Amino acid sequence: MVVAGCIQTREDKGDDFVDGKARAEGNRHSVMSLIVLLLGLGVGVLVGLLGIGGGVVLVPALVYLLRMDQHVAQGTSLFILLPPLGLGALREYWKQGQVDVRAGILCAFGILAGGYLGGWIAVPLESRQLRGLFGCFLMLAAVLLWRKPQPQNQKTGSASEAPARG
Amino acid sequence: MGDNRLRSAGIFVAACVCGIASGLFGIGGGVFLVPFLALFFAFGQHRAQGTSLIALIPPTGLLAFIAYAKAGYVSWQAGLLLVPGVFVGGILGSWLAKRLDPRHMRHVFAGLMFALGAWQAFTAWRH
Repeated sequence: MVVAGCIQTREDKGDDFVDGKARAEGNRHSVMSLIVLLLGLGVGVLVGLLGIGGGVVLVPALVYLLRMDQHVAQGTSLFILLPPLGLGALREYWKQGQVDVRAGILCAFGILAGGYLGGWIAVPLESRQLRGLFGCFLMLAAVLLWRKPQPQNQKTGSASEAPARG
Repeated sequence: MGDNRLRSAGIFVAACVCGIASGLFGIGGGVFLVPFLALFFAFGQHRAQGTSLIALIPPTGLLAFIAYAKAGYVSWQAGLLLVPGVFVGGILGSWLAKRLDPRHMRHVFAGLMFALGAWQAFTAWRH
């Protein structure tokens, strides 16, 4: 219901997320909204299943499936990652005492500061350049994902596959 | 004590690098943070992932997000529609992970991601 409401209000404002054509037909608009909802579900499944970040999957999905501009896809991905979606997974790690709080706080400040710098670099870039950079980054992330070591013990195997957002 | 301080400074610098990647590519940063903690600071895999998760609980991408939002690079509607899907999907995925062997899936997915990245880099370079 909340989602339906937000489609309605956004429609009134004429905000679109694909292109001008989608806005023209209300019918097609709701179909696109449904596709976006399903896309979120698919991305979420991959996040929970593989223990990889939502952003890495979201950005190319938004670019290729919704034909979004590279900049808009990245900005939207940052927007989605603002709420603490990893809280549920953190609980599992916390129960096992696998959290270094002090290092975590240090990392949070580091990422906050670095994120400012990264955004400052990315915004003035051409979309094409940014897309090329993102492609290279995706290949690097794929290599890291491939090499991820096995969990040390079978009991905690499922917990190790919980999301480490990125 | 001095050694401990050096280690903390090292972790902070590594996190800054992750943050730059986060702002530059519109991602969370965990993809780099987990291997960094594991490789350079001798964290076990579980501890690295748990620490990465707690580091990402506060909205660490906020400053980067503001930079994008100011430039008009945010699609609010698509974002709002995606949040519930990602959340529910995440729960579904953790449930599935207990029943499937995620190792193979991860390899298939890493291969796909590599191909996608190569394609993206190629199309950007060709135009």
